[in-house]
Amino acid sequence: MEMMRFFWTLFYVNLFTIGGGYVMLPILHTEIVENYHWLTNQEFVQSIAMGQLTPGPLTIMNVFIGYKVFGFLGAVGALISSYLPSMIVATIVSRYYLQFKNSWIVNSSFKGIRPAVIGLLGAVAITLAGESIIDLSTAAIAVGTFLIIAFTKSDPTFVILGAGALGALLY
Amino acid sequence: MPDIKVTTRSIFLVFLKIGTFAFGGLYSVLAFIEKELVHKKKWIKDEDFAESVVIGQLTPGPPIVNTGIFIGYSLKGIRGGFATVAGQVLPSFLMILIFSYLFMKYRDIPLLQSMLKGVGAAVVGLIASTIYSMCKSSLREYKSISLAIVIFICMALFKFNPISLIIASGIAGCLFFRGGDS
Repeated sequence: MEMMRFFWTLFYVNLFTIGGGYVMLPILHTEIVENYHWLTNQEFVQSIAMGQLTPGPLTIMNVFIGYKVFGFLGAVGALISSYLPSMIVATIVSRYYLQFKNSWIVNSSFKGIRPAVIGLLGAVAITLAGESIIDLSTAAIAVGTFLIIAFTKSDPTFVILGAGALGALLY
Repeated sequence: MPDIKVTTRSIFLVFLKIGTFAFGGLYSVLAFIEKELVHKKKWIKDEDFAESVVIGQLTPGPPIVNTGIFIGYSLKGIRGGFATVAGQVLPSFLMILIFSYLFMKYRDIPLLQSMLKGVGAAVVGLIASTIYSMCKSSLREYKSISLAIVIFICMALFKFNPISLIIASGIAGCLFFRGGDS
């Protein structure tokens, strides 16, 4: 029963994830960590890292969460419930895309949602930073990662692997 | 739209390739898709591709997957759309299953624990860099800047539910940004 609730949660989280994988994080964090306590903050950060280490969208991190909380069945169900909203909505939109793309409601809503997502993500970043930045070295790794990715266009996968290696050396 | 014969199977295979090599963020993957489908296979035209990118970002879920669904649907209907999702998702699904298994098995080893400390800090930096690039592209005038700040306060201090905040900001967008493209 709890597993069904987990799948349903992933379904509506992804239904409201409009405009990029990172939009998912604030909603997912509220539901998975704060409402249902399926993961701790730390485990949530680890799931993001797992999602970054694999090719493709960050959404795949939900499979890791499913596996961690409910085992193999949880992983398969997480995959299906995370991609089902995309498949339903994008298929319908593909059919009527001209009306959809030119609708003023769609376009002006997005002008509101885009800045809002920045605010949401900022709030989550602060929560996660409180958990992951525990001393000077972790602060340095976080700042270093920010600078490398924001200003050099490096691949996040390698930066995360590098940070893992640094962690192994430092602790 | 397509002149060449396209099968569901060939759509699946191309997107399997895209799913396997899709490292490095939205734009590098989009460039990869464009090269494969527009220039190499010539299944779609450049204008259709641009259209599919827009649709991908206006629909729920990962933009790349949605772009794929749009392309697959226009080539081969619902089955085509489904084939693009299956192809894109399969490689990362298998990989993350293996990672999950290994992680659960070895998570108590001290070495992995210390690696995770570094990784956790890097994830925070990564999110910060995402926020930075989103600010550069979406915060151009005072209306969107104030909206971002208000939403941040609602979530960080008052713990509003993010789904209701997204709905509210969509409505705010309709009220404040109607007409002109600010």
